[in-house]
Amino acid sequence: ASPLWLDMAALIRGLRAGRALRGLGGVAVQGTRSTQCSNVRRGFHRAALLRLASDSKSDTSVPPPSYHEVHTAGESSSSSAQGESSEDAQPNTSFQDQSGEHSEDYETEEQLQVRILTAALEFVPQHGWNMEAITAGAETLGLSSASTGMFNNGAGDLVLHFVAQCNAQLTETLAEQNNQVQLGQAESKKTGEFLKDAVEMRLRMLVPYIDTWPQAMSILLLPHNIPDSLKHLSTMVDDIWYYAGDRSTDVNWYTRRAALTGIYNTTELVMVQDSSPDFEETWAFLDNRIKDVVNMANTAKQVQATGEAVVQGLMGAAITKEIY
Amino acid sequence: MQRAAKCALRLDISRAFCPSNVRNCGAVNRVNGSVSCRRYSVLPPPRDEEEKAMLDSMLRVDHAGEYGANRIYAGQMAVLGRTQTGPLIQHMWDQEKMHLERFNEILGEHRVRPTLLLPLWNIAGFALGACTALLGKEGAMACTVAVEESISEHYNSQIRTLMEADPERYTELLQLIKEFRDDEIEHHDTGLEHDAESVPGYLLLKTAIQAGCKAAIYISQRI
Repeated sequence: ASPLWLDMAALIRGLRAGRALRGLGGVAVQGTRSTQCSNVRRGFHRAALLRLASDSKSDTSVPPPSYHEVHTAGESSSSSAQGESSEDAQPNTSFQDQSGEHSEDYETEEQLQVRILTAALEFVPQHGWNMEAITAGAETLGLSSASTGMFNNGAGDLVLHFVAQCNAQLTETLAEQNNQVQLGQAESKKTGEFLKDAVEMRLRMLVPYIDTWPQAMSILLLPHNIPDSLKHLSTMVDDIWYYAGDRSTDVNWYTRRAALTGIYNTTELVMVQDSSPDFEETWAFLDNRIKDVVNMANTAKQVQATGEAVVQGLMGAAITKEIY
Repeated sequence: MQRAAKCALRLDISRAFCPSNVRNCGAVNRVNGSVSCRRYSVLPPPRDEEEKAMLDSMLRVDHAGEYGANRIYAGQMAVLGRTQTGPLIQHMWDQEKMHLERFNEILGEHRVRPTLLLPLWNIAGFALGACTALLGKEGAMACTVAVEESISEHYNSQIRTLMEADPERYTELLQLIKEFRDDEIEHHDTGLEHDAESVPGYLLLKTAIQAGCKAAIYISQRI
């Protein structure tokens, strides 16, 4: 093996160990815990940061470039998230100099991972969702293929990164549309139409990868990826309902999200085996499912109203009977 | 400036209409770095996941508590509504309704998940209120005393947690919880004034109800 390869691998291992020893808050034991826990936490952190950034970005008009420098641990993540889309809220442990400050030329491990994974997405149609795509991505950035050693979960990391990226994009667009409606520059849509548009928008992001998407879906269903993928799914569904105007605080909160999760998953499945031009059949399927759910909700409301009226009538009859 | 006005308008509208399914309360989002919206919302923008989780669980259990209290008074009214104590219970119930409405708004604004066990608290609360009311006015008052004592203790411990964490950051939230705690203590005292202690088995009843409340609080924080 070449000395350079060994150096890189040793350096990465050293960084990992350093991070583990630093004992910072709850994530102190990342190095000592099993890799799945650290990946779940890290992967979701990335997603959370993409979301934080996209939420705050929706208020600022100019999305800044993704890879600015990270400041020291003291700064809050909300102010620095304004400037970065992939910043780590945890204190940085790589390449710190004497004062603990970051020098301009280095980035965190997290940021580097995000860069590599984003570059790797280009190679997915060619190689599939696996380490080969990640290696190809790393090489495009001028890094040696050994840098892929930092991805313990390999394909899982890549798919989860893609899902997080799509969700962040969706949230950003929905927030922007919401702003437009608030400012009176656009009409607000009816709930059914809004849900249909949001799900269609999200599913269209899969179109460039649709041939390899079944592989990605099965990767997301692997036991060690399930917590992460469920989190992404539930956050996405929550976001869509929030921007659709749902502010319910009773059991409807759960039934609505469950219904939308069902719609999204089934439509995704239809989409991967749809061969019609521009996925027309998929959108027709989606339309029908949304109509079903809206109908059911209306029927439920009617049943409840009727039930209440019946009870009122009976009470009235009972009281009248009592009087006589 | 426009943003502040927008925020105020949004919150007014959300108070006027039923909070659920109102489309206009969109962008008071979780990580709104702008300071102008801060003045009108009860919670500060969360600075990390842990804080969000802590505030979420606090609001979730408070919402569940007010919902349960509502249902308890509803049960009591169903039995004692047409007696002399009716107006008194109605008055206390109205205050609880106001609390619940306020929490509904906060949950909607800050995207907090309500507890999954709401239907359970619905039935359990109504049953508790109705059963204790069947013991007469004293029974209903004893139930009120027990529940209000539990709730005020719970609010006090939340106040303590927030004060220990960062009193300045949570000023509005602290103010809200203190206000509600004072109302609950008032209900507790009202219950005592109206012969709560003269119900047979008062201590047993009180202990049982408070144990139930503690369990409910514990579960609602998590589920």
